[in-house]
Amino acid sequence: MSIIKLNNRAVKDATAFGSITGLGNLVFISRSTASSSSSLSITSGLTSTHKEYIFVFNNLHPASNSNLQFQTSTNGGSSYGVTATTTFFYASHQENDGEAIVTYNTGRDHAQSTDFIYLTGDNMEASASDASVSGYLHLFEPSSTTFVKHYISNTDHVADGPYQQNNYSAGYFNTTSAINAIQFKLTTGNIDSGTIDMYGVL
Amino acid sequence: MPRYKMVNGERVQLTAEEEAARDAEEAAWEAGAKDRAMANLRTKRNNLLKETDYYALSDVTMTDAMTTYRQELRDLPGTVADDATAADVDAVTFPTKP
Repeated sequence: MSIIKLNNRAVKDATAFGSITGLGNLVFISRSTASSSSSLSITSGLTSTHKEYIFVFNNLHPASNSNLQFQTSTNGGSSYGVTATTTFFYASHQENDGEAIVTYNTGRDHAQSTDFIYLTGDNMEASASDASVSGYLHLFEPSSTTFVKHYISNTDHVADGPYQQNNYSAGYFNTTSAINAIQFKLTTGNIDSGTIDMYGVL
Repeated sequence: MPRYKMVNGERVQLTAEEEAARDAEEAAWEAGAKDRAMANLRTKRNNLLKETDYYALSDVTMTDAMTTYRQELRDLPGTVADDATAADVDAVTFPTKP
Protein backbone atom coordinates (compact mmCIF):
# COMPACT_ATOMS: atom_id res chain seq x y z
CA MET A 1 0.00 0.00 0.00
CA SER A 2 1.35 3.39 -0.85
CA ILE A 3 1.47 6.32 1.53
CA ILE A 4 -2.01 7.52 2.19
CA LYS A 5 -1.17 10.64 4.12
CA LEU A 6 2.05 12.51 4.72
CA ASN A 7 2.20 15.97 6.14
CA ASN A 8 3.95 17.73 8.99
CA ARG A 9 1.81 16.00 11.61
CA ALA A 10 1.42 12.35 10.74
CA VAL A 11 2.25 9.43 8.52
CA LYS A 12 -0.59 6.97 8.10
CA ASP A 13 -0.63 3.48 6.54
CA ALA A 14 2.89 3.73 5.15
CA THR A 15 4.71 0.44 4.51
CA ALA A 16 8.01 1.84 3.25
CA PHE A 17 9.91 5.05 2.82
CA GLY A 18 12.37 6.20 0.27
CA SER A 19 14.80 8.78 1.55
CA ILE A 20 13.83 11.77 3.63
CA THR A 21 16.26 14.62 4.02
CA GLY A 22 16.29 17.73 6.11
CA LEU A 23 14.32 16.33 9.05
CA GLY A 24 17.26 15.75 11.40
CA ASN A 25 18.55 12.40 12.55
CA LEU A 26 19.37 10.25 15.54
CA VAL A 27 22.63 8.51 14.75
CA PHE A 28 23.81 5.43 16.61
CA ILE A 29 27.53 5.88 17.29
CA SER A 30 28.71 3.14 19.62
CA ARG A 31 27.81 0.59 22.27
CA SER A 32 29.88 -0.04 25.39
CA THR A 33 29.19 -3.39 27.04
CA ALA A 34 30.18 -3.86 30.66
CA SER A 35 31.82 -7.10 31.67
CA SER A 36 33.04 -6.81 35.27
CA SER A 37 34.36 -3.40 34.24
CA SER A 38 35.76 -0.82 36.61
CA SER A 39 34.66 1.91 34.20
CA LEU A 40 33.23 2.52 30.75
CA SER A 41 34.99 5.24 28.80
CA ILE A 42 34.19 6.74 25.42
CA THR A 43 37.03 8.74 23.95
CA SER A 44 36.01 8.81 20.31
CA GLY A 45 32.94 10.21 18.63
CA LEU A 46 32.37 13.26 20.83
CA THR A 47 33.00 15.85 18.15
CA SER A 48 31.45 18.88 16.52
CA THR A 49 29.53 16.58 14.17
CA HIS A 50 26.57 16.57 16.55
CA LYS A 51 25.06 19.33 18.63
CA GLU A 52 23.70 16.88 21.18
CA TYR A 53 24.70 13.42 22.37
CA ILE A 54 22.49 10.90 24.13
CA PHE A 55 23.82 8.07 26.29
CA VAL A 56 21.31 5.32 27.02
CA PHE A 57 21.92 3.05 30.01
CA ASN A 58 20.40 -0.40 29.70
CA ASN A 59 20.31 -2.59 32.80
CA LEU A 60 23.68 -1.77 34.30
CA HIS A 61 24.12 -4.21 37.17
CA PRO A 62 26.58 -3.39 39.97
CA ALA A 63 28.89 -5.91 41.60
CA SER A 64 28.59 -4.03 44.91
CA ASN A 65 26.00 -1.75 46.45
CA SER A 66 27.03 1.51 44.86
CA ASN A 67 26.03 4.55 42.80
CA LEU A 68 26.45 5.26 39.11
CA GLN A 69 28.56 8.33 38.35
CA PHE A 70 30.10 10.06 35.35
CA GLN A 71 32.61 12.74 34.47
CA THR A 72 33.99 14.24 31.29
CA SER A 73 37.36 15.12 29.85
CA THR A 74 38.80 17.93 27.77
CA ASN A 75 42.03 16.05 27.03
CA GLY A 76 40.77 13.01 25.19
CA GLY A 77 40.38 10.89 28.30
CA SER A 78 43.82 11.37 29.84
CA SER A 79 41.98 12.61 32.91
CA TYR A 80 38.36 13.05 33.96
CA GLY A 81 37.38 15.95 36.17
CA VAL A 82 35.85 19.01 34.53
CA THR A 83 34.50 21.60 36.97
CA ALA A 84 30.72 21.26 37.22
CA THR A 85 27.77 22.73 39.06
CA THR A 86 24.80 20.38 39.29
CA THR A 87 21.50 19.60 40.99
CA PHE A 88 20.11 16.26 42.09
CA PHE A 89 16.69 15.13 43.25
CA TYR A 90 14.80 11.89 43.24
CA ALA A 91 11.48 10.25 43.85
CA SER A 92 11.53 6.90 45.59
CA HIS A 93 8.98 4.29 46.57
CA GLN A 94 9.48 1.19 48.68
CA GLU A 95 8.43 -2.15 47.24
CA ASN A 96 6.45 -2.76 50.44
CA ASP A 97 4.68 0.59 49.92
CA GLY A 98 6.14 1.75 53.23
CA GLU A 99 7.46 5.09 52.05
CA ALA A 100 7.11 7.28 48.98
CA ILE A 101 9.05 10.55 48.93
CA VAL A 102 10.52 13.25 46.72
CA THR A 103 13.83 14.63 47.92
CA TYR A 104 16.47 17.11 46.84
CA ASN A 105 19.72 15.50 47.94
CA THR A 106 22.45 18.00 48.81
CA GLY A 107 24.88 15.13 49.18
CA ARG A 108 24.58 14.36 45.49
CA ASP A 109 24.91 17.81 43.91
CA HIS A 110 28.04 19.76 42.97
CA ALA A 111 29.07 23.39 43.31
CA GLN A 112 32.07 23.96 41.10
CA SER A 113 33.47 20.52 41.80
CA THR A 114 35.65 18.25 39.70
CA ASP A 115 34.38 15.11 41.45
CA PHE A 116 32.43 12.46 39.58
CA ILE A 117 28.75 13.32 39.26
CA TYR A 118 26.00 11.14 40.69
CA LEU A 119 23.41 9.67 38.34
CA THR A 120 21.75 7.58 41.07
CA GLY A 121 20.83 8.70 44.57
CA ASP A 122 20.88 5.81 47.01
CA ASN A 123 22.94 2.66 46.69
CA MET A 124 21.94 0.34 43.89
CA GLU A 125 21.21 -3.17 45.06
CA ALA A 126 23.88 -5.64 44.01
CA SER A 127 22.69 -8.78 45.75
CA ALA A 128 19.57 -9.23 43.62
CA SER A 129 20.56 -10.53 40.21
CA ASP A 130 17.58 -8.83 38.59
CA ALA A 131 18.35 -5.38 40.04
CA SER A 132 19.79 -2.74 37.71
CA VAL A 133 19.76 0.88 36.58
CA SER A 134 18.47 2.14 33.26
CA GLY A 135 18.06 5.65 31.94
CA TYR A 136 19.65 8.27 29.77
CA LEU A 137 21.93 11.29 29.76
CA HIS A 138 21.85 14.15 27.26
CA LEU A 139 25.04 16.16 26.74
CA PHE A 140 24.58 19.35 24.77
CA GLU A 141 27.13 20.70 22.29
CA PRO A 142 30.24 19.32 23.99
CA SER A 143 32.49 20.74 21.29
CA SER A 144 31.45 24.35 21.89
CA THR A 145 34.30 26.70 22.66
CA THR A 146 31.87 29.51 23.45
CA PHE A 147 29.46 28.08 26.01
CA VAL A 148 29.45 25.91 29.11
CA LYS A 149 28.31 22.31 28.49
CA HIS A 150 24.90 21.41 29.84
CA TYR A 151 23.68 17.92 30.63
CA ILE A 152 20.44 16.43 31.90
CA SER A 153 19.95 12.86 33.09
CA ASN A 154 17.08 10.70 34.24
CA THR A 155 17.69 7.22 35.60
CA ASP A 156 15.64 4.62 37.42
CA HIS A 157 17.16 1.98 39.63
CA VAL A 158 16.51 -0.68 42.23
CA ALA A 159 17.90 0.70 45.46
CA ASP A 160 19.12 -1.43 48.33
CA GLY A 161 16.01 -1.99 50.46
CA PRO A 162 14.60 -2.77 47.99
CA TYR A 163 12.94 0.32 46.64
CA GLN A 164 12.50 2.07 43.32
CA GLN A 165 14.23 5.38 42.80
CA ASN A 166 13.83 7.80 39.88
CA ASN A 167 16.80 10.17 39.77
CA TYR A 168 17.08 13.55 38.09
CA SER A 169 20.50 15.10 37.70
CA ALA A 170 21.34 18.16 35.64
CA GLY A 171 23.97 20.83 35.45
CA TYR A 172 26.76 22.24 33.40
CA PHE A 173 30.45 21.75 32.98
CA ASN A 174 31.84 25.19 33.53
CA THR A 175 34.34 25.21 30.72
CA THR A 176 34.59 26.70 27.25
CA SER A 177 37.06 24.00 26.26
CA ALA A 178 35.65 21.24 24.09
CA ILE A 179 34.63 18.09 25.94
CA ASN A 180 35.88 15.10 23.97
CA ALA A 181 35.59 12.09 26.28
CA ILE A 182 33.23 10.75 28.93
CA GLN A 183 33.56 8.08 31.60
CA PHE A 184 30.98 6.16 33.63
CA LYS A 185 31.77 4.17 36.75
CA LEU A 186 30.40 3.13 40.13
CA THR A 187 31.33 4.64 43.46
CA THR A 188 32.77 1.27 44.39
CA GLY A 189 33.20 -2.06 42.65
CA ASN A 190 32.70 -3.08 39.06
CA ILE A 191 29.84 -2.79 36.62
CA ASP A 192 28.99 -6.47 36.18
CA SER A 193 26.94 -6.16 33.03
CA GLY A 194 24.77 -3.90 30.92
CA THR A 195 25.27 -1.53 28.03
CA ILE A 196 25.64 2.17 27.34
CA ASP A 197 24.62 3.21 23.84
CA MET A 198 25.82 6.51 22.42
CA TYR A 199 23.78 8.47 19.90
CA GLY A 200 24.37 11.74 18.16
CA VAL A 201 21.57 14.13 17.30
CA LEU A 202 21.89 16.11 14.11
CA MET B 1 42.57 -9.73 41.11
CA PRO B 2 43.33 -7.24 38.34
CA ARG B 3 40.66 -4.79 37.27
CA TYR B 4 39.63 -4.06 33.71
CA LYS B 5 38.05 -1.02 32.12
CA MET B 6 36.21 -0.65 28.85
CA VAL B 7 37.55 2.06 26.54
CA ASN B 8 35.63 2.49 23.30
CA GLY B 9 34.45 -1.09 23.68
CA GLU B 10 37.93 -2.50 24.24
CA ARG B 11 38.70 -4.33 27.50
CA VAL B 12 41.87 -2.85 28.99
CA GLN B 13 43.63 -3.86 32.20
CA LEU B 14 44.17 -1.05 34.68
CA THR B 15 47.72 0.11 35.15
CA ALA B 16 49.33 -0.11 38.58
CA GLU B 17 48.74 3.62 38.98
CA GLU B 18 45.08 3.28 38.02
CA GLU B 19 44.69 0.33 40.39
CA ALA B 20 46.09 2.41 43.25
CA ALA B 21 43.80 5.33 42.40
CA ARG B 22 40.76 3.04 42.30
CA ASP B 23 41.77 1.43 45.61
CA ALA B 24 41.93 4.90 47.16
CA GLU B 25 38.52 5.84 45.74
CA GLU B 26 36.91 2.69 47.06
CA ALA B 27 38.55 3.08 50.46
CA ALA B 28 37.28 6.66 50.70
CA TRP B 29 33.79 5.50 49.71
CA GLU B 30 33.86 2.81 52.38
CA ALA B 31 35.16 5.25 55.00
CA GLY B 32 32.29 7.62 54.28
CA ALA B 33 29.55 5.03 54.74
CA LYS B 34 28.45 6.24 58.16
CA ASP B 35 28.45 9.89 57.09
CA ARG B 36 26.23 9.02 54.11
CA ALA B 37 23.91 7.01 56.35
CA MET B 38 23.63 9.93 58.76
CA ALA B 39 22.92 12.30 55.87
CA ASN B 40 20.16 9.98 54.68
CA LEU B 41 18.74 9.80 58.19
CA ARG B 42 18.65 13.60 58.45
CA THR B 43 17.07 13.91 55.00
CA LYS B 44 14.32 11.46 55.95
CA ARG B 45 13.89 13.19 59.34
CA ASN B 46 13.60 16.58 57.65
CA ASN B 47 10.97 15.27 55.26
CA LEU B 48 8.93 13.91 58.15
CA LEU B 49 9.20 17.25 59.97
CA LYS B 50 8.05 19.09 56.84
CA GLU B 51 4.99 16.86 56.69
CA THR B 52 3.85 18.21 60.06
CA ASP B 53 5.15 21.79 59.85
CA TYR B 54 1.68 23.17 59.35
CA TYR B 55 0.80 22.14 62.90
CA ALA B 56 3.19 24.89 64.01
CA LEU B 57 1.19 27.64 62.30
CA SER B 58 -0.15 30.22 64.69
CA ASP B 59 -3.78 29.47 63.85
CA VAL B 60 -3.41 25.70 64.40
CA THR B 61 -3.37 23.99 67.79
CA MET B 62 -0.65 21.35 68.07
CA THR B 63 -1.46 18.38 70.28
CA ASP B 64 0.97 17.22 72.96
CA ALA B 65 1.48 13.99 71.04
CA MET B 66 2.45 15.90 67.91
CA THR B 67 4.78 18.15 69.91
CA THR B 68 6.48 15.06 71.35
CA TYR B 69 6.69 13.39 67.93
CA ARG B 70 8.34 16.41 66.34
CA GLN B 71 10.78 16.78 69.23
CA GLU B 72 11.71 13.10 68.93
CA LEU B 73 12.38 13.63 65.24
CA ARG B 74 14.62 16.60 65.95
CA ASP B 75 16.48 14.61 68.61
CA LEU B 76 16.83 11.46 66.52
CA PRO B 77 20.33 12.03 65.01
CA GLY B 78 21.65 12.67 68.53
CA THR B 79 20.51 9.21 69.67
CA VAL B 80 22.97 7.50 67.31
CA ALA B 81 25.95 6.21 69.27
CA ASP B 82 29.39 7.48 68.33
CA ASP B 83 30.56 3.95 67.57
CA ALA B 84 27.50 3.06 65.49
CA THR B 85 28.12 1.62 62.05
CA ALA B 86 26.39 2.65 58.84
CA ALA B 87 24.20 -0.44 59.17
CA ASP B 88 23.27 0.64 62.71
CA VAL B 89 22.25 4.07 61.39
CA ASP B 90 20.19 2.51 58.60
CA ALA B 91 18.40 0.42 61.23
CA VAL B 92 17.37 3.37 63.43
CA THR B 93 13.66 3.26 64.27
CA PHE B 94 11.80 6.46 63.57
CA PRO B 95 9.07 7.63 65.98
CA THR B 96 5.51 6.88 64.97
CA LYS B 97 3.43 9.78 63.75
CA PRO B 98 0.41 10.32 66.06
